[in-house]
Amino acid sequence: MKISLFAQAPYRYLPEDFEQHYESVCSVPYSLTTREGVYSSIRDFMDELMFGARSGFDALAVTEHGQSSYDMVPNPDLVAAALAYMTEAEGIDVAIFPMGRSLGKSREPLRAAEEYAMIDVMSGGRLVPGLVVGLSYDSSVNNGVPPMQVRQRFDENLELVLRAWTEQTPFAWNGKFSQYPMVNMWPRPLQSHLATWITGIGNPNTMKMCLERGFGFTYLSWFGAKLTGKRIFDRFWEIADQVGVSRNPYRLGFLQTVAVSETDEQAERDYAEHLEYGFRKGLGSIPMEKLGLPGGIDIRGVQALLKDPGDFGLYYQMKTATYRDLVDAGVVIAGSPATVRDQLRTFCREYGIGNLHAMLSFGSLPRHLVMKNIQLFSEEVLPHLRDLWTDTEHQHHWWPERLGGTPGTQHIPANTGSAVAR
Amino acid sequence: MTTIQPAISEQAVQVWDGRITMRVKVAGAGSPLLYLHPAAGLAWDPFLTHLAERYTVYAPEFPGTSVGDPYAIHQIDDLGDLVLLYEELVRKLGLVKPVVIGQSFGGMLACELAAHFPDLPSALVALDPIGLWTDEYPVANWIATPAGQLPALLFHNPDSPAAQAMLALPDDPERQRAAIAGLVWAFGCTGKFTWPIPDRGLRRRLHRISARTLIVWGRQDKLANVAYAGQFADAIAGSKVAIIDDSGHIPQVEKYDETVQAVGEFLG
Repeated sequence: MKISLFAQAPYRYLPEDFEQHYESVCSVPYSLTTREGVYSSIRDFMDELMFGARSGFDALAVTEHGQSSYDMVPNPDLVAAALAYMTEAEGIDVAIFPMGRSLGKSREPLRAAEEYAMIDVMSGGRLVPGLVVGLSYDSSVNNGVPPMQVRQRFDENLELVLRAWTEQTPFAWNGKFSQYPMVNMWPRPLQSHLATWITGIGNPNTMKMCLERGFGFTYLSWFGAKLTGKRIFDRFWEIADQVGVSRNPYRLGFLQTVAVSETDEQAERDYAEHLEYGFRKGLGSIPMEKLGLPGGIDIRGVQALLKDPGDFGLYYQMKTATYRDLVDAGVVIAGSPATVRDQLRTFCREYGIGNLHAMLSFGSLPRHLVMKNIQLFSEEVLPHLRDLWTDTEHQHHWWPERLGGTPGTQHIPANTGSAVAR
Repeated sequence: MTTIQPAISEQAVQVWDGRITMRVKVAGAGSPLLYLHPAAGLAWDPFLTHLAERYTVYAPEFPGTSVGDPYAIHQIDDLGDLVLLYEELVRKLGLVKPVVIGQSFGGMLACELAAHFPDLPSALVALDPIGLWTDEYPVANWIATPAGQLPALLFHNPDSPAAQAMLALPDDPERQRAAIAGLVWAFGCTGKFTWPIPDRGLRRRLHRISARTLIVWGRQDKLANVAYAGQFADAIAGSKVAIIDDSGHIPQVEKYDETVQAVGEFLG
């Protein structure tokens, strides 16, 4: 199994009663911050990722969120680029995994393709490119894309990005959302085939596209994997069966917040308040209408969500969630190394997960405790998970060759008829 | 408040090279009147019933908002095409010099239609139309407004019986979900032409309107400030303005009698 260190860059010093007054996105007042608070939140975030790189993780993963206090990363490629060079200079063989330049948000899709190509070159072929439709508020409020066009823009931009990476000769692009008279990127990616991942939260159409076209699928399980995992992963593998592709665990990625300490009791003492901060003031403070603006979710999807909101797990209670709530719902797996590795191994084994993205920093967790979490995880959890799936025939086709993957399955082009997924 | 609801028939009209079927509710008798509904979709209300006493009212459903045909909206991407589509609809319905009335989003569309095709309407009535923007009076983002806060945005007195009747949802859970999903989708469909700022350059085109024009505005409109009434009037030569007191964004619902009187006096 491949195991990444996943990190976001929350502002770590929000007021205690933040969630009673503010939303964590779009309108969140910047006057709540200090220069020192912003600098240290970002500096610690970068240092923690580099510590992870030196601690033996297989990948470093980051996400894109503009105008947000819970992840101050308007462009993950800036972070990824810094990590690419730093790790290359230090000779660390770790994958660089931006989990999503949002292509539903992007008005400059060629720029996204160029950034990924640069990162692949800077890292010597260690890029794992993640792409994502994008959260509703980020695409539509932060970047002004009409909600109904977010998915269509993603579909079109995805074709452009894939083609710009691979096409040998210059070509003209006459899209609905962007037009370029000549596309001829310099540099192109070093890897001849970039094993592309799509990040999602459970939309069956997205899963189907990944399975049909040979993309990896990353599930961001913010809402509590004990509540949502079974339905999401069962859905994924059932669609895989329908599509007729193998249940290869390496095509599936799973994000999990993890808090490791010496004992279960010490984990609660170390991490409880910071986890509550993270989820109450982060995800819990994104109102539902910002996650699904009208037109952003297909009308059938709206009806399905109204009838069965199960995919949203603990979301509706997140604003007041206690440590115990978070643990019980599986939003976080916390405890001693033995507790954590047993739960992770069981979970990943049960649901066929071949890529684990461990989120080890969250909320207000101070630098020294993040470092402790990373160290304990890398020394006492990670080694016990790595051999998962080595007893199977499955090959990892969604990982760079330089890092032991066997990419080479070309992405299957979209059918002309379904180029605009609905 | 009003008389019995008239018999409403429905016409299905193929437009846009057969790619879109527009559903049009038709009622009444007399010269033609085209009614363009707001962002939330078409609801036949007492105001339309009143109009149908004097006119043959044609009320098309915006592409994508007709039950069972949500993806028609994907056939239209920009405002220019949308205006052409409505002009084609008017021709195919055989409407000669109709009165054109639009509310809110429909008011913007009515103004666009009259600006692009000045000879199309015999008269134009816009009820709290959107389409203009000045930084002094930012138009509220109704699409991003949580459902619970919409009544207060739309009505001066959201507790009034007329407002409550308009916002009422079916009791049956299945129908309730369908109604909510339909409303959300209608906001999405019309939002293609208003998001993120409901200004697609209408101000530059208003001078082309030559039809007799009445601008109606609720004085307490919290979605689009009443100051916009004057801006529309200034840009449309010879236009008249009627400000409805104690009314929010939907005067024909919140102050039915006053609105009917103002529109009636104008249309003669």
